[in-house]
Amino acid sequence: MSQALYRKWRPLGWDEVVSQEHVIQTLKNAVAADRVAHAYLFSGPRGTGKTTAARLLAKAVNCLAEDKTRRPCNQCAHCVAVNENRFMDLIEIDAASNTSVEDVRDLRDKINFAPSQGRYKVYIIDEVHMLSVAAFNALLKTLEEPPPHAIFILATTESHKIPATVLSRCQRHEFRRFPLSEITRRLSEICRAEGIEADPEALTLIARQSAGGMRDAISLLDQLASAGGKITLETAQTVLGTAASQAVIALVQALIERNAAAGLDEIHRALDGGADARAFARQVVEYLRGLLLIQLGNADQVEATAEQRAQMMNHARALPTADVLRAMRAFNTAASDPRGGWSPSLGLELAFAEMLELPKAEMEMVTAPPTAARHSAVPQPQPVPARSEPVTGQPAAKGAESAPPAVTLEAVVKAWKQAAARIKTQDINLSALLNSGKPLEIREGVLLVAFASDILQGKFNRPENLELTRNVLREILGVNLPVQGVVTGGKNALPAHIKPDGLVAAASQLGGEIVDVQ
Amino acid sequence: MTKTRNEWGLFAHDWAVDMLMRHIQQGALRHAYLFTGPAGVGRRTLAMRLAQAIQCPTPVAAGVPCRTCRVCRQIEAGQHIDLMVVQAETEGGTLKVEQVREVARFLSLKPYQAAFKVVLFLRFQEANASAQNALLKTLEEAPAYALLMLTADNPEQLLPTIVSRCEVIRLRPASIPALTEFLTTQGIEPTRARLLAHLSGGRPGYALRLSADEQALAFRSETLDELRELLSAPVRTRFAYAETLAKDKETFRRTLFVWLSFWRDVLLRVAGSQAPLTNADRTQEVEALAAQLSLAQARTLTEQAEQAIERLEKNLNARLLAEVLFVDWPKLRQRGN
Repeated sequence: MSQALYRKWRPLGWDEVVSQEHVIQTLKNAVAADRVAHAYLFSGPRGTGKTTAARLLAKAVNCLAEDKTRRPCNQCAHCVAVNENRFMDLIEIDAASNTSVEDVRDLRDKINFAPSQGRYKVYIIDEVHMLSVAAFNALLKTLEEPPPHAIFILATTESHKIPATVLSRCQRHEFRRFPLSEITRRLSEICRAEGIEADPEALTLIARQSAGGMRDAISLLDQLASAGGKITLETAQTVLGTAASQAVIALVQALIERNAAAGLDEIHRALDGGADARAFARQVVEYLRGLLLIQLGNADQVEATAEQRAQMMNHARALPTADVLRAMRAFNTAASDPRGGWSPSLGLELAFAEMLELPKAEMEMVTAPPTAARHSAVPQPQPVPARSEPVTGQPAAKGAESAPPAVTLEAVVKAWKQAAARIKTQDINLSALLNSGKPLEIREGVLLVAFASDILQGKFNRPENLELTRNVLREILGVNLPVQGVVTGGKNALPAHIKPDGLVAAASQLGGEIVDVQ
Repeated sequence: MTKTRNEWGLFAHDWAVDMLMRHIQQGALRHAYLFTGPAGVGRRTLAMRLAQAIQCPTPVAAGVPCRTCRVCRQIEAGQHIDLMVVQAETEGGTLKVEQVREVARFLSLKPYQAAFKVVLFLRFQEANASAQNALLKTLEEAPAYALLMLTADNPEQLLPTIVSRCEVIRLRPASIPALTEFLTTQGIEPTRARLLAHLSGGRPGYALRLSADEQALAFRSETLDELRELLSAPVRTRFAYAETLAKDKETFRRTLFVWLSFWRDVLLRVAGSQAPLTNADRTQEVEALAAQLSLAQARTLTEQAEQAIERLEKNLNARLLAEVLFVDWPKLRQRGN
């Protein structure tokens, strides 16, 4: 079995790593100045070089080359050992398979032994976001003060899942997506070295499909190359399941002409011709994005030939910006919706049909006059105020009855500190609670106070505390304003539009999940 | 008869078979493949053939399994010692992280008798997040003797990090005339073959399964008959129907799929598209309905059926769901017949 190209072409030296200079330069300098930190965290999207950089760093700190700036040299015994995957002091841990606290304890037990070959024992913990909470905590002490011969390199695609206590112990480096030009450059480099013949357009298509991930790009190249023969734009389209750009243009044309039959037939023709439904939807979104850029006056950012550009200009003029946005949203859903195992084309068909309807806002405007007429027809007895009342009277009347004191949130926020100070003389605990809470909003005459945890909120919501707060607020603001504590930001936080005392809130506290909001 | 099946004994996916065969012949086999496509399109069959092709001790030609030797038959039956099939316990269940860890153990030992150790993950979209994560490292740098194969409905359901580590082979439904022809050669009478090809939307595996399942076909036409009656029935009758429907969730789910296919047909005809219908035997009915509905209505009905399927999976109250659907259905006048 031959090795996949993305494994074969993993960079072996710093200079082979492209376009992550901000990380690489730092690491290189750290090695040269002998100031390597004891813990690193590499984060970034897939295929941007995290594992590669981790291995390079491991190699560099153990390299035997005299000149520190030339490490890793790829010639000394240690470098060769790392390249051949048999270096004893480079320990790669798959955190996704070894997630438990036992695995971390095992690591902790062994870390105190001195390295057997090199200067440093390097632990690369890949996919570190999958460690359990207990495992992370077990790692904390070791991560903070490891023995002098140990270096940790954590790598992950999801840095938001890493506890703050771990983050603060590591030197953090963010990897970025590769620009299109870098990927095409690297691909053509590989093509040259591997003796693969490829059209530049095909390489651009691959690079675009891979969305900034080098591994994706090289895998795709590999896949195309394995079919044998020259890689042309056509073969690339067949294997990637992308439709010819004419199909996309024809679909948008049908959209502009509001021709339902032509649009649906175009979709079916593209899919029968071998396009993948999702890939096709993504292409449509991409094309629409081009239209949007043109409409916003950013035409130079669109990558297209002069001929295509003229075509896009026409479309951009014919389709209003609001429609372009709506279409992008609809087709984007079709592209990313995980449903649709039943019939691949259904998502596209629905998106297209939706676009031919009037947008929601417009429809409401069209239907608005009859409802207004019906409303004004009801209060016939007093005809004089009837004209203005149905339009503005409704919300105003509601506000008037539910919020008798006209107090704004800003006023409450201003008075908050003062209230806390006043309460201090009566109940010092409540005063502290008030200081950790934040007035959130006034809803239906009740002031909602946000707390970070449900423990604080529970304490605040005791009747005597609510009563006291209310009294003090009345003294300061001169209005009777009931208060209620809510939790925000924590694990059990509710979206802003849900009433904290309603049925939905209760369900969500019992482990419910919001499927859809109507 | 000779042309209907390619070298691997499959009726469709010639390009994929060609590509995989070339991989074997040139020794350029990848360590991980991901087969995607709608259920019944032939993902599992293709994966099994690939396993046979690399393991068969007496191949007909390079990369073409004999499919008669002991090894080939063992693989076909999922009994081969160097083959591990991993899937969720039930369809719609969850593939758990323990199962993936077992795979890592399985792969840590060299093959017992064949050249490769093959692991086949079926319906990998059913793997939960930790199971998918647990596979990442194995998938990236598997031992040289390992071949990992995954099947899924579509790549979007998997972690992007999984997809980028595999060679993705997107299988597509066959064209309907081609499938009709293939089914006819299987000894199915032409009109029935045509209906099956339409119903399956070009998925050979699904069509064959349907042809063996009289009950499913009967269920479909019964459901469509009921649908026609419901459309002209008052809300009271519809609600009574909803009550019986909500009693059995599995039946409800299947009913929803039939409805979805029907409304989609209507949508296509309302729009004036000539794309092939799923319910080809009901063309007249579909067209009559299409004449009475607007495009927006047809789209809403289709989308609602689709959403209902998803919501049913999220464990919503089935009866409420059915009732809400019925309220939104248009009330149509009975046609002449």
